[in-house]
Amino acid sequence: MKRKLLTVLCFVLVAAWLSGCASMQTSKKVPYRLTPQGTVVWEDEFEFMPPSPDWKLLRVEAGENDINFGFMRSDPGPFPSVTTFAYDEDPFGCTAASFEGREREFFKRFLFNAILQFQILNRKKVQVVGGEGLAVLVEGKDPVKKEKVRAKVVFGKRGDRIVGFYITQWRPMDGSYDLSAFDVFDKFVASFKFLKKSFYETL
Amino acid sequence: MEGHQRNLYLYDRFNARVVGVSRDDVTTLKYWANGLGITFPLLSNITAFLGAYFDIQPEGKPIFGRRTVIIDKTGIIRYVRDGSPDFKDILLFLKKLNQEGGKP
Repeated sequence: MKRKLLTVLCFVLVAAWLSGCASMQTSKKVPYRLTPQGTVVWEDEFEFMPPSPDWKLLRVEAGENDINFGFMRSDPGPFPSVTTFAYDEDPFGCTAASFEGREREFFKRFLFNAILQFQILNRKKVQVVGGEGLAVLVEGKDPVKKEKVRAKVVFGKRGDRIVGFYITQWRPMDGSYDLSAFDVFDKFVASFKFLKKSFYETL
Repeated sequence: MEGHQRNLYLYDRFNARVVGVSRDDVTTLKYWANGLGITFPLLSNITAFLGAYFDIQPEGKPIFGRRTVIIDKTGIIRYVRDGSPDFKDILLFLKKLNQEGGKP
C-alpha cells in the first residue's frame, strides 16, 4: 500500500514538473500584424506595404546604430549577390539641421568595413513620410575583392530627428544589377507611415 | 558617441552634460571627434586612471569595456550599465533624475 502511494506521489510530482515546464514556454510575440488593406503594422508604430514573400524579414537586436528592421533577398548569381533594405531610426551621423549635412556624415560610415570607393550617381529632393526628404543613389566598388554595390539612401524627418531608409545590392564586379528591387524599395518607402510620435518626441 | 551627439539637445533639456572617456591619446581623439562631428568633451584616459578612480577597472584586465555612468550633481553615481549605451534607457533615467531635482 505504501509502495503504491509512493508511486502515485512520484507520478503526481513528475506530472507537476512536466506541466511546470510546459507553462514556462513563453509564446513568441510577433512584432507586426497584417491589415485587411495588405499593409503591415509594426509594433503599432509604423505602417508600410511589405515586399513579396521572397523577401525575408531582417531584424537586429536594438542597440547603438542598429537598424530597426528590414528585408533581405538572395539574388541569383555568385557571391555576394544579395539585396537588403531597411528602415533606420538613427542613421549614421549627428546633424539634424540639414539632409545634406547628414548625408556627408552618413557616407563617412556607411558600409565602412567594406572600404569602398563611392560615386554619387544621383541626388534629389523627394517627398517621404509626409515631408521633404533627400534621396541619394550611389555605387561603391571594391577593386581588390572585385565586388560592387549599388545603394540608395533616403533621408526623411520624424519630429526633430532625421531618419533613414536604405537599400544595398551587392554584386560581383562583372555582375548586373536587378533594378526591380529598387522599385520594391521605393514602394516600401512611399507607403511608410508613422502611426504615433517617436520615443524622442514624447520625452 | 554619435548617439550621444544626436541626443545632446535632450541632455540639455534634462540639465545633463555628457563626457566621453577613451583610452586613446589626445591626438587620436581630436581627429576622431572632428571626423564624426563630436562636440562634447572627450577625455583621454591612456593610463586607465579614471577606471581605477571610479572602481570600474576589471581585475586582471588591461582595458575596460564600454560602460555608461550617470553621476548626479552631488557626485553620487546613480546609474551604471555595461555594454553599448541604451539611449532610451539613459534618456528616461535622466528625465526622471531631472524631475526629482537631482540634476546630473
